[in-house]
Amino acid sequence: MADTTRHQKQDLSTLNTDYAVKYGFRDPVDYFHKGAKGINHEVVEMISQMKKEPKWMRDIRHEALDIFFSKPMPEWGNTKLLGEIDFDDIYYFMKPIENQQQSWDDVPEYIKRTFDKLGIPEAEKNFLGGVSAQYESEVVYHSLKEELRQQGILFLDMDSGLREQPEIVRKYFGTVIPATDNKFAALNTAVWSGGSFIYVPPGVDAKIPLQAYFRINAENMGQFERTLIIADKGSRVHYIEGCTAPIYSTDSLHSAVVELLALDDSYIRYTTIQNWSRNIYNLVTKRASAYKNATVEWVDGNLGSRLTMKYPCIQLLGEGARGETLSVAFAGVDQHQDAGAKVIHVAPNTSSRITSKSISKDNGRASYRGLVKVHKNAVNVKVSVQCDALLIGEEARSDTYPTMEIDNEQVKIEHEARVSKVAEEQLFYLTSRGLTEDEARLLIVNGFMEPFTKELPLEYAVELNRLIELEMEGSIG
Amino acid sequence: MDNDMNTDNANSEYKIPDMAPELMRGPQWLQEKRTLARDAFNSSPLPRRGLHLWRYTDPNRFMVDRASVVDSAYTEDYDAVEKVELRHLEQGRLSGLVTDLGGREINRYGVEKLAEQGILVTSLSEAVGKYKVLVEPYLYRLVNSATGKFEALNGALWNDGIFIYVPRGKSVAKPLHLLREAGRENSAQFPRLLIVVDQGSELTVIDEYGGGSHKMEKGLSYANSAVEIFGMAGSRIRYVNLQRQTSAMNSYLTHRAMLERDANMLTIILAFGGLLNKQNFGAILSGQNAESNMFGLTFGSGHQHFDCHTLQHHAAGQTLSNIDHKVVLRDKARSAYTGLIKIEKNARTCEAYQENRNLLLNKGTRAETIPELEILNEDVRCSHGATIGPIDPMEVFYLSSRGIPYDDAVRMVVGGFVEKTLKQVPDDLRERLRQFVNTRLEKI
Amino acid sequence: MAEYRKVATVSDIPDGGMKTYRLDHDQIVICHSGGRFYAIVDECSHDAAPISTGHLRDHEIVCPRHGARFDITSGTVTAPPAVAPIDTFEVKVEGEDIFVRLD
Repeated sequence: MADTTRHQKQDLSTLNTDYAVKYGFRDPVDYFHKGAKGINHEVVEMISQMKKEPKWMRDIRHEALDIFFSKPMPEWGNTKLLGEIDFDDIYYFMKPIENQQQSWDDVPEYIKRTFDKLGIPEAEKNFLGGVSAQYESEVVYHSLKEELRQQGILFLDMDSGLREQPEIVRKYFGTVIPATDNKFAALNTAVWSGGSFIYVPPGVDAKIPLQAYFRINAENMGQFERTLIIADKGSRVHYIEGCTAPIYSTDSLHSAVVELLALDDSYIRYTTIQNWSRNIYNLVTKRASAYKNATVEWVDGNLGSRLTMKYPCIQLLGEGARGETLSVAFAGVDQHQDAGAKVIHVAPNTSSRITSKSISKDNGRASYRGLVKVHKNAVNVKVSVQCDALLIGEEARSDTYPTMEIDNEQVKIEHEARVSKVAEEQLFYLTSRGLTEDEARLLIVNGFMEPFTKELPLEYAVELNRLIELEMEGSIG
Repeated sequence: MDNDMNTDNANSEYKIPDMAPELMRGPQWLQEKRTLARDAFNSSPLPRRGLHLWRYTDPNRFMVDRASVVDSAYTEDYDAVEKVELRHLEQGRLSGLVTDLGGREINRYGVEKLAEQGILVTSLSEAVGKYKVLVEPYLYRLVNSATGKFEALNGALWNDGIFIYVPRGKSVAKPLHLLREAGRENSAQFPRLLIVVDQGSELTVIDEYGGGSHKMEKGLSYANSAVEIFGMAGSRIRYVNLQRQTSAMNSYLTHRAMLERDANMLTIILAFGGLLNKQNFGAILSGQNAESNMFGLTFGSGHQHFDCHTLQHHAAGQTLSNIDHKVVLRDKARSAYTGLIKIEKNARTCEAYQENRNLLLNKGTRAETIPELEILNEDVRCSHGATIGPIDPMEVFYLSSRGIPYDDAVRMVVGGFVEKTLKQVPDDLRERLRQFVNTRLEKI
Repeated sequence: MAEYRKVATVSDIPDGGMKTYRLDHDQIVICHSGGRFYAIVDECSHDAAPISTGHLRDHEIVCPRHGARFDITSGTVTAPPAVAPIDTFEVKVEGEDIFVRLD
């Protein structure tokens, strides 16, 4: 065990040395000096070589890059903001060393204020502020790792996953979300780095939630994370990523891909709290395949970023499979949370539920985009969708775009949506009981979000509540 | 689309020729508008699939080659229907009757009394000359080339249409019935309707579309219709659109109503006929306190394909809209429904409700529903709901166990489903609508 | 007795190519691959839009929008993001004429 620690420390220590020296590919110093931004096959080749990937993965990357170039930008959604993305102005490869270390001074004021108010400890602040590349939680991390190892659970960063378990990765990578799926999935497939690889063996129950927080590597909270989770037959796992504290990143484009495979009788719950800083475009493709009698749950909280486009999807491919998505979006000043959920019923006797809660405040815009698709042979299907939106302030905006495509009549499909502002009667009731209007509004908002917060582990729920309080006070952004 | 074995006259490459005779119809100002519409049609691309207005319907199927179709004679059923309506007129149940044969021949019955009050019911070809001052400000304002490629097609090629004008403070007590009859196989018609109801006036219109080809093998028939309605301040309009065309007819219709302050509109959409029936109904609430209520009933059987889009656009404060759209499908019928409620930033204190219920009677039916909301003002009360499911087997069992044959039992359960809508329709219209519904239900 | 309808002629569709046709109430695409003809519904089970604007790769039809693939002999899915199969139609060729069986 001590060996592992040393090995880890060694790996991390090389972060600050010249990559060229360690990996020896052609003229990287020259490359850095030429300007490391922009995407092309050379960059993809370097990424793959640097990671020492097998040829099959390198080929996948190159093919995906061609697909990325061939696809147009989406014509739906916030095309104005999407149009602001300059693909040539992004680092897809390692940033030049000079830029790697940020100073605390560079971290935006509102982030620093939030850390203080949330009571985040110093070390964590450094990590979240992008100032240091590692989180000082090695001790916690390692005892966790031992427990998992005993159960046979694999929990690695994706790069290590590919290196140590190439057969498993090769079997499942890209089978749920192919590179052709959409432009951003293609980009991610070409330049992915970091993310989580989790494999839970048959019948194993990973009792404690696995948290992305505790993966230690330079690509943590990276721009193009690729996550692959396989829950083998009869296993159970809960994975949590993100955190309520805002995460600052100079990389303006974040495009992750998450693939989940819940094999027969398994259970996967994937919780995300996204609170990227307000300069970020967060375009994510997340999809799960649920097989016979399996259950997949997405618990998805969207608080940060300038623009988030994310529609967690569950494909119910095996009989008796079940899917549930619980989504919350908070759109504040200048934000657009374009979130939603998709469920595809292919097998009979499947059921799903989608609950979406959104809040738009100031000039924020929250959109719900959903798809319920029931294929021809999916008999005896039950789906229930509930979307509620709360508008606070004159400039707020809410959209709902649900689509239902039903090809089987032995189904029960129900969809309901409600949009309103904070009700005068409710406000009056609370203020007449001694609360200030701000306190009353906060209480109402918390009540509105309650179905979501009650699904979170306690420390997240507490932090989330505090964050909402700050948002409502207007002291953020 | 290159299939010479095809019995439809669709031509995805079709362009309106420069010297098409329709372009010369009417006074100079109208000819200019037609020409502009022709140019817009010829230069605009086909709507892309994948964008949801055209997600489920192939736009190629409406690209009828005007040169390859005829203005054919009307169907045998027409005479019988016309007789029935003339009788209604005689018995005082209608204020007037207008028949429109494929846009070639417009006849009016019983409208003289209305004319005495200054209420105009004429053909558009007459109105664009004689009543230019009333028509020109309104024609093409709501449904035009900017609306879409197929609206541009109608804008260029409509032959003759109907114009109704109700001056201030008048009330047309009984419904005005418009009987539009499509030609038989390989025919194409481009009906157009313009209604202007001035301040404080009332009007009820039943806009019935019948006819069409009976034999797919002999050739389909087409209709591309435009309806524009202007409700001035305080007006009350009730518009019933009845589509009961034949089973070998592709029909496209765009309807837009603009409602000013305190105006109130009731729109009833009865989509019963046609093979491919695409309709787009919209109400723009442009003045405070305006109100729009829409009730829709779609009955699909055989291979019918319905694609219905509704728009309730709140562009002013304190407006109210409500849609209740019910769909019943059997055999291999298919329905796509897209409903958008849009509330502009300056539209405070609005209420908008929408409900879409789909009843699928057997395996092989398909339903799509996309109820959408775009809300830019927080002071709103808005909700929508949609359900899709089969007929309740218990309800049918209950009836058939009392000796009622299965098909009749199904019809009764469907009738009960539909009755919820009929109950909300004004008393004086309900019986008429129930007749239309029952006629259709017999074939369900 | 199954009814067959003549839909196309052999010379309409070169080997490796495909064309879309309307067969009464269905939009179908006829594919020519390896010297044989196949008919499949012209609608991707992923996004309900036509697949005939894509291309053929041996016995697979590739949907142009998101890369879904279907086996033209059986209609089964061979690549995501589609997850459900699409219907095929029986085809018989007599001389220069391609017939599709109506169902």
